[in-house]
Amino acid sequence: MSITLVAIGGAIGAVLRYLLGLFIMSNRKKEGLPTAMLIVNLVGSLGLGLFIGVYNPGSEPLQNPLYLLFSIGFFGAFTTFSTFSVEAMQLIQKRQLKLFWTYVLMSVLGSIILFGLSVAVTVQLA
Amino acid sequence: MKTYFINVIAVAIGGALGAILRFSVDLPLYDTYFPINTIIVNLIGSLILGTLTAIYIIKDTREWIKAGLGVGFCGGFTTMSALANDAFVLIENGDILLFTLYLFISFIGGIGLAVLGYVSLMKWKAGDPS
Repeated sequence: MSITLVAIGGAIGAVLRYLLGLFIMSNRKKEGLPTAMLIVNLVGSLGLGLFIGVYNPGSEPLQNPLYLLFSIGFFGAFTTFSTFSVEAMQLIQKRQLKLFWTYVLMSVLGSIILFGLSVAVTVQLA
Repeated sequence: MKTYFINVIAVAIGGALGAILRFSVDLPLYDTYFPINTIIVNLIGSLILGTLTAIYIIKDTREWIKAGLGVGFCGGFTTMSALANDAFVLIENGDILLFTLYLFISFIGGIGLAVLGYVSLMKWKAGDPS
């Protein structure tokens, strides 16, 4: 049961990331900041923060079906770290160090800040 | 349209398998305070995707295989949202040292391993021009 929930959330999250990535890339120039995965990671971290803030998964989250479906499955697979690493590597290869630092710092700090803000705001409102 | 549909199916299957594998790393390590589970999946996933990136350059690979392995599996296996969650908890607890260490290992390690996977495969190919 647990594995099924993680798999369903993971499949939907990955497909949504794929489609959103194709859509964003068709609307931007090829060079520059890899905006598609930046946006996906920021939106996904914000979304996970809202989910955790609205729905407290309790002290045993891995026993919790909604946590498995949304947190581990959906948001876990919607956001990605491996593509981030490879895109950062490619910016280094192209000697675009300014873009590299912009991309890395925006991804890291942006994800953490958006996650924290959305948890804080939803907990306040709840 | 048909190939597009096949790519989506490949991403869905890869994403489901990646998420299940990540979950199986989470299960035995969930009680550890330092989020070693997220580090493990993100570093291994970055190494695999760095290697795949080189393979795609060396060898003409079908689009659905790329989509299934890279976007689906590696993307679903690794995660930024759990990293944000882990990092936020560490800073909320005032563990600035562990917070810094966590980000340092994740980002230097992730990018470093992607480079390692990519460069090793490219070097191996350069030495074996068959």
